[in-house]
Amino acid sequence: MSTGRKLAIGAVVVAGITASMAYLGGSASWQYYVTADECVTNADSLVGTRLRVSGKIVPGTLQVTADRRHAVFSLTTAEATLPVACSGPLPDNLAEDIEVVVEGRLEHPGLLRGNKVLTRCSSKYESDPAPVSSASTARRERGGLR
Amino acid sequence: MTVLGQLCLLAAMVACGYAAFACAAGWRLGHRGLSRSGVAAAVAGVAALTVVATILGWALVGKDFRFAYVVDYSSRELPWHYSLSAFWGGQAGSLLLWAWLLGLLALAYRFGPRREASPLVEPTFAVLLGYLGFLVAMMAFGADPMEPSTSVPSEGAGLGPSLQHPAMLVHPPVIFLGYAGWAVPFALAVAGLAAGRLDAHWVRQTRPWVLFSWLALGIGILLGAQWAYEELGWGGYWGWDPVENGSLIPWLTGTALVHVLLAWRYRGVLKKTAVLLAIATFGLCNFATFLTRSGIFSSLHAFSQSPLGWMFLVFMAVLAVGGGVLVAFRRGAMMPDHPIPALGTREALVAISAFALVLLAAVALVGTLMIPLSQAFFGERIVVGAAFYNNVLMPIGLLLLAATGIAPLVNWGTALLPAQKRTLLLATFVGAVSAGIALATGIRHPMALAVAGLAALAVAAMAAALILDARRRDDRRRWLAVLSALRSRPRQYAGFLVHLGFVSLAVGVTGSSLGTHERELDVRQGESIEWTGYSVRFTRLFERDLPGKTAVEAQLDVARNGLPWCTLLPAQHFHRLQNHWTSRVAVHAAWTRDLYAILHRGQGNDRIHVTLIENPLMRWIWLGGCVMTAGALVGLVPAGRFPAPPSSPPGPHVALRRKRLSPKASRAADER
Repeated sequence: MSTGRKLAIGAVVVAGITASMAYLGGSASWQYYVTADECVTNADSLVGTRLRVSGKIVPGTLQVTADRRHAVFSLTTAEATLPVACSGPLPDNLAEDIEVVVEGRLEHPGLLRGNKVLTRCSSKYESDPAPVSSASTARRERGGLR
Repeated sequence: MTVLGQLCLLAAMVACGYAAFACAAGWRLGHRGLSRSGVAAAVAGVAALTVVATILGWALVGKDFRFAYVVDYSSRELPWHYSLSAFWGGQAGSLLLWAWLLGLLALAYRFGPRREASPLVEPTFAVLLGYLGFLVAMMAFGADPMEPSTSVPSEGAGLGPSLQHPAMLVHPPVIFLGYAGWAVPFALAVAGLAAGRLDAHWVRQTRPWVLFSWLALGIGILLGAQWAYEELGWGGYWGWDPVENGSLIPWLTGTALVHVLLAWRYRGVLKKTAVLLAIATFGLCNFATFLTRSGIFSSLHAFSQSPLGWMFLVFMAVLAVGGGVLVAFRRGAMMPDHPIPALGTREALVAISAFALVLLAAVALVGTLMIPLSQAFFGERIVVGAAFYNNVLMPIGLLLLAATGIAPLVNWGTALLPAQKRTLLLATFVGAVSAGIALATGIRHPMALAVAGLAALAVAAMAAALILDARRRDDRRRWLAVLSALRSRPRQYAGFLVHLGFVSLAVGVTGSSLGTHERELDVRQGESIEWTGYSVRFTRLFERDLPGKTAVEAQLDVARNGLPWCTLLPAQHFHRLQNHWTSRVAVHAAWTRDLYAILHRGQGNDRIHVTLIENPLMRWIWLGGCVMTAGALVGLVPAGRFPAPPSSPPGPHVALRRKRLSPKASRAADER
């Protein structure tokens, strides 16, 4: 067997292992990415699934406990509002009327149980820096490299 | 000043467009006058861009709020150095920086020292100027850094607090230097394909630019990781965010290109791969820009959604189609000189490593594009978490580490010699001993044990290769022989240094990923809490006034095994202008572990909520990056610039070692 053919077979094997590992990692960590409106519209089919829901915190709905471990608020994109209850460390800059992404599960059609709130961080190419939240307080997805 | 800046921007666009046309036409028609006029236009264009950059820098430092960009990204309280870093804080400024750096690099390529006449200079320069014209046109029509503000306010919006960090003074410009640098190998590839001149000369011309761009992008990524570690306050340095991936993916393909060029240079193989990688790496740099500007990705970085991203996408599509057609058209000129003779040769190892790197880049690309891909194929938007990437990084990282270990002991073109086989066995034994020691010290994770073994194997193999090389030298004094070996093959040992840095990086990444511990504490003033060998005492909370912000700092006195170890001062900063809080983590770094503290708000003055994280071996990551940088810098020094190896008096060993290479002979071999 030529060296080229041996290399090709090795490449197929390595690619296969890599694809399998990626599939395992992906299937353990994938989430549906939906907006608050989509979440409310398709609530029945999304109950119990892992979700990442984006939206804006409705002014007047945010309540945070003194130890900043729990928060409740409503999330909206355009029309519908989705009640959210979050537990875990909260971003310092969590505030009303800002864009957030909540990770968690839809407990029932009327409540998203979140375990993580992500606030968008100001970074390069931000055209409107005044109202944005801070990178330093954005709780990024745990499980990256540290 | 805004009018002058806008005029200069338009002049730069016209000049670059003409320069690209004139240089290409002059080269094609053999019309030297046309080429000369193109070069003059290019110089004028870059000079005009320099004027624009100077005006913007001056306006930012001088808080000239007549410029809309200054209003958006600066404020009166902002220190001057952060005012300057606001240059790349916004879209228009970062594009200007990129274009300006590209212009300077294009001139450096055109007028820089060259050891041999090259027929590729004119077409390469034309491609670079064409790309520069594209960037300047995007600024002129889509993101004008010279745009006047509608009214002149007394205060600006200021720079985002997270960007007010020392790493941000350097990280973005170096990343853009890397992006701009990758345009040169791309331009050389296009010129080589157009001219049908893809030979050893092309490799010699391309190599330093590839190494330079790889180095700049690598330093930029490392600085970004350090910024994330100290500024983002989640305890890690890499979150597999689309924007982070956007810079990593071209760096991975660029790393593959660095190695593939060696295989081409020494054995005349993997030529098509090299050209495709040069085009792909540049295309992926544009992809990174598309990521930051299109707004279609689920990134925690906030971006303005502008049509510029789609312009970059169209540009990438043109690159992909055009590059593919050119490579197919010239495939006959890129046939390998020899087939790869055996798996145990260095060219085979290079092919395997390049494949692994490209595979890793492909997986990162798929993960990054998961939302649009899943929407296109399944009608639903799906995101994948870090496990998707980490699962792939593990086997490929081990494969690369193993290749790094074996590489110094294998030859180009021939299989292993018996002495090399014995040395490799010895290095493997050292690796096994290292893994055994790791096991004995309580490490149980298979990945950590594998990395401990392979890292030791790699270090032992590099040391053995150096010793073997030194023993071939005509010198009875061992240290002089080692010095002679190092001086005779500086590029080879620069490669070793880069690989040593990679080993250190791998050890750090593995240790910090697998051995991290975290604890959240609610602690009262004066109270001590015991945690995994640490005794953490909350001593006091105090406030300090800083320019533009108020800092609330907690003093944590940490003892380890009963002895005072460090004092941590995690803080919360209130930014008066932006009216919000940010965290300032405190890190105590040591060679074995980092202790990382994040202060949270909302507990009153006598009680705080703190997150403590222990990250093992973090320092080895930064050390690895520095060593890789040092190695690449040595590799960039032209071979002729190294001092000649010291001569030593001949001794009786000379006769015994007649067949061994003299320093001069081995130096000549290295030059070849």
